[in-house]
Amino acid sequence: MNGRPEQFSARPNELLVERLRDGLGLTGTKVGCDTGQCGTCVVRLDGRSVKSCLVLTASAAGSEVATIEGETTRGGELSGLQEALRQEHGTQCGFCTPGMVMALGELVDSTAGGEAPTEPEIREWLTGNLCRCTGYHSVVRGVQRACAAARAEAPSGASEPAAVAASTAAGQEV
Amino acid sequence: MTAVTGEAPATGSGVLGQPLDSREDPQLLRGEATYVADIDLPGTAHMAILGSPVAHAKILSIETKAAEQLPGVLKVATAADFTDVMPLPCIWIPGGVESHFPPHPYGLPGARPVLTGDTVRHVGDPIAVVVAETPRQATAALAAIAVEYEPLPVVTRADEALADGAPQLHEAVPGNLNAYWTCGDKDRTDAAIAEAEVTVELDLVNQRTINSPIEPRGAVGDYDAATGEYTLYASTQGPHNHRFLLSALVLGIPFNKLRVIAPTVGGSFGTKGYLYPDMALVLLLSKALGRPVKWVDTRTGLMNSTVQGRDHRQHVTLAGTRDGRITAVRCTSYANLGAYPSTIGPGVATALMGRSISGMYDIDAAFCEVYAAFTNTVSLGAQRGSGRAEAAFLMERLVDRYAGEIGMDPAAVRRKNLVPKEKFPYDNGLGWTYDSGNYQLNFDKAIELSGYADMPARKAEARTRGKRLGVGLATYVAICGVGPSTRMSQEGMLGGTWESANIRVHPTGEVTVIVGSASTGQSHGTVFAQVAADELGIDPDTVQVLEGDTQKAPYGQGTYGSRSYSMAAPAVALTARKIKSKLIRAGAVFLGVPEDKVVYEGGRVFEEGNEQNTKTFAELAMSMWYGWGLPAEIEPALDETTHFDPPDFNYPFGTHVAVVEIDELTGETEVVSYTAVDDAGHIGNPKIVLGQIEGSITHGLGQALMEAAVYDEQGLLISSDLTTYALPRAADVPFFTLDKTVTPSPHNPLGAKGAGEIATVPPAAAVVNAVVDALSDLGVQHIDMPLTPEKVWRRLRGEAQ
Repeated sequence: MNGRPEQFSARPNELLVERLRDGLGLTGTKVGCDTGQCGTCVVRLDGRSVKSCLVLTASAAGSEVATIEGETTRGGELSGLQEALRQEHGTQCGFCTPGMVMALGELVDSTAGGEAPTEPEIREWLTGNLCRCTGYHSVVRGVQRACAAARAEAPSGASEPAAVAASTAAGQEV
Repeated sequence: MTAVTGEAPATGSGVLGQPLDSREDPQLLRGEATYVADIDLPGTAHMAILGSPVAHAKILSIETKAAEQLPGVLKVATAADFTDVMPLPCIWIPGGVESHFPPHPYGLPGARPVLTGDTVRHVGDPIAVVVAETPRQATAALAAIAVEYEPLPVVTRADEALADGAPQLHEAVPGNLNAYWTCGDKDRTDAAIAEAEVTVELDLVNQRTINSPIEPRGAVGDYDAATGEYTLYASTQGPHNHRFLLSALVLGIPFNKLRVIAPTVGGSFGTKGYLYPDMALVLLLSKALGRPVKWVDTRTGLMNSTVQGRDHRQHVTLAGTRDGRITAVRCTSYANLGAYPSTIGPGVATALMGRSISGMYDIDAAFCEVYAAFTNTVSLGAQRGSGRAEAAFLMERLVDRYAGEIGMDPAAVRRKNLVPKEKFPYDNGLGWTYDSGNYQLNFDKAIELSGYADMPARKAEARTRGKRLGVGLATYVAICGVGPSTRMSQEGMLGGTWESANIRVHPTGEVTVIVGSASTGQSHGTVFAQVAADELGIDPDTVQVLEGDTQKAPYGQGTYGSRSYSMAAPAVALTARKIKSKLIRAGAVFLGVPEDKVVYEGGRVFEEGNEQNTKTFAELAMSMWYGWGLPAEIEPALDETTHFDPPDFNYPFGTHVAVVEIDELTGETEVVSYTAVDDAGHIGNPKIVLGQIEGSITHGLGQALMEAAVYDEQGLLISSDLTTYALPRAADVPFFTLDKTVTPSPHNPLGAKGAGEIATVPPAAAVVNAVVDALSDLGVQHIDMPLTPEKVWRRLRGEAQ
C-alpha cells in the first residue's frame, strides 16, 4: 500500500474503496456514485488505474496499491501532473480530483519520452472520470502541459511512442 | 482559445483582476481536503434513511421491531418519534399572489416534515431512519422495516396535476396549484399579439434535470449534552442560512445553540443551499443517542431526494413586424414543483424565470404567467442558471422561429432588437431593471469570433462528409447579485439577502478576512484575498480567508445565484476601505501631520510631498495593536465589519454561438465549435472565472444533448443513477472559443456582475437552435431536449416529434 506492506483480514464482500477509506483512513480516495461510473475512487493497482469501488479487497491481495496519499507527502511538493493541473486550475470543488490524478498519472507516465497524447486521446482517457465543475477543459490543458513537461525531462528514446496509443486505446482497465 | 483576461478597477494596487493560481488547488490535488464523508468524530454512529419505494400512497403501518434486533442497530425512528419537530419551511413564495402551502407553525409556508408519517408523495420520501454502529449495518437494517402502503393515484406532470380529477397531493392545496403568478402587462401584450403583422408560437418542454454534483450530500450531527449545543457539519452552500432555518424554524432551539460548519463542499450548483430532512435528523438523533451521528448519501439516494431543476411546459408566442422588429412576447408556463415546496423552489420557478424572458431585447410588450403545481416527483429547486436558462431557452427558440417565418437571418433579427446602449438603466417591463450593458458590442464580438459569415460554406463542406452542419445563436441576460433585501422581500423572499465581511489586521501585519459566504469550489480563499490585498495595497499571500463556520464567520446568506463576487467581495472591499480610512486618521497622529496631508498608497501612509515621513502597513498594524498615543476618538486595533446590501441586482449578459454537425446515418449530434462572449463586469480572477465559464457551458450542453430526469407513469425515477442519467464526459465537448466584454455594474464598488453560472444560461438554446438549423430544410421547426441520436435520427427520417 503506497510502498508499505499492510496486513489485515477483509470481509469477503468488502470493496477496496471501503478498506482504503474506512479501514486504513486513506480518505483521499472518494466515493461519488454506486455504479462505477464517476471515477472519484480511481487508484492504481499494480500500476494500472482501476475504480476501487469495483474491486474486492480480497482480490487485491498481493498487489501493489497506489492511492493519492502516495503521490506526495502531506503538504509536500506536487508531482509533475499535479503541478500542471495547478497551473491550469484543473480543479474546482476538487471532489473528482484525486481520482483524476490517479487515472491520468498512468497516461502521463506512459507518454514520458514518447509521443504526447493527442487531445482526443486525452479526452478518451478521461471518459472514466466525471467532473461537473470544470467541463474538463482545464484538466485536458493540464494533461497537455504535464505531458510536455514529462517529455522534456525524460532521456530521449527512453520510451517507445507506440506505447502511448496502445495504452490510450485500452483506456482504464475497469 | 482566447483567454479571459480581467481588468482591475482603477483604484486598486493591481492584484485584482490578475489570474493568480488558486491557493485551494494544492490541497485538493493532494486529496487532503476534508469533505463531510471524511469527517470521523470519536464515537460516531451511522444513519441510513428509508425512502418510500412508491410515489403516492397512504402509510397504513410501519413495523420496526425486526430492524431494532439486528446487529449493531442503535435506534430506529419514524415520524412518531419527532412529533414536536416542525416541518422544514419554504422561505421563497412568489410575491404578490395567493399561494397555497402545507402549513408551518410559525405562520410561514411550511414544506415537508423531517419524516413522513401518513402519506408518501414521491419515491424517496423519507419515512424511517436507522442508526447503527457502521454504515453497512444501518443500510442492512432498512430492509427489515416493514411498511404497509395503500396506493394512491400518481401524477408527475404539472399540467396534468392541474386538470380536473387529478390525484390530490396536499389537503391545504386545492387542485395542486401552489401559485398562479404573473408579470408584465397582459392586456398590452395580448393586444400587440392580436395586431401583429407576424406571430409565431411554440410548445416547449424544458425537461427536468438533475444537478448531480459529484459529491453526494452528507451531514454529521454532534450534540453536546454539557452545553446543550448542537454542531452540524454539512455539505451546505449557506451555513448561516441553514443555522437560522434549522434552529428557529425546525428544531425550535435558540439560534445560538446551533453551530453549522461547511467543510470542503464537492460541488453544488444550487442543490446544497436547500434544507433537507437529514440535516435535522442527524442532530435530533445525536441528542437522543449521546453520540455523533453521520449520514452520507448514495448517488441513487441523491437522485431521489436532492432538489431537481428546470421542468417547465410552456406555450410561448412572439409577435413582430415583417421587417424583423419584435413587438411582444408572451409565455404561459406549467412549472412542476415536485411533491413539496423546497426551501426556495417556488420562487425559482416563477420570478427567476418569468421576469427574465425578454432577455437582451427591447420589447414593448411582454407577459408571463406561471402555474406552479405539486406532483409526485422530487422537489424542484435551483440548478446552475436556474430560471434564467429556462427563460433564455424560450426566447431564443422563439427568435429563431420568427426569423425563419419572415425569412431573415437570425443574427440580423437579434441585432435589430438588442436594447440600445443609451437606454440603460433599462426597465424590461417584467420587473427587472437592467443596470448596465453594451449589448451591440458583445453581440458583434461573438458573431465575428465565431466566423458566423463562413457558415454557408462550412455547411456545404460538411454535406460532402455526410454531415449536416447547423449554427445556433443564443443571447441572454442573467439576473445576479441577489440581492437588495427589500426588493427580494417584494419577490416574496422571507429573509435578508445581504452579505458581510470582517477584516482583522494582526499586530504583525498579516490580515484575516472572514466572510459569511461559503465556497463550493469557487476558490473564495484566493479571490477574496485578492480583493482585500488590492484595496489595502498589500501582498495577497499575507491575507488569510476564512468562511464556512458560523461560530467564526460574520453573518451571510451563502453562495448561490453567482452572487459571491458581486455580494461578498464588495463587503470585503468596503471593509478594507474602513480599515484604510482609519489608518489615514491614525496616520495623521503617527506622522504628526493634518489628516488631509496623509496619503494611503501602496500599503503605507506618508505625508503628502514628504514620502520620507512614512509608516508601512506592518508598522501601522503594530502601532494600532499597541494603541499608544491614540486620541479618544480613534479606537485601538484594526477590526472592521461591513454588511453589504446593494441598491439593486446586477445583470451579466452574453452571446453564445454553437456549431453542430449531425451524422446523417446515426443522428448523432457533435458540438464541433462553441463560441461564447460573456460580460460579467470587472472580474476578480480571470483564471477562476474561465474555469467557471467552461464548466457552465458544458453543463448547459448536457441539458441540450443528454440529460433528463425520467419518471415513469408510476412516478418511479427511471434515471436514478449515473448509468441511466447521462452527464457530459470529456469526449463530449471540444475546447471552446471564449472572450468577454466588460460593462461594470454601478451597483457595487467593484463593478462586478455575477459570473459563476451565467454561461449555463444560453447553451441549451444555442445547441437546439443549431440542430433545428441543420434540419430546417426537412421542415423541422423544433425538437424537444435532450437531442438524443435516436430523436434526431427519427426526425431525419421525417417522423413527427
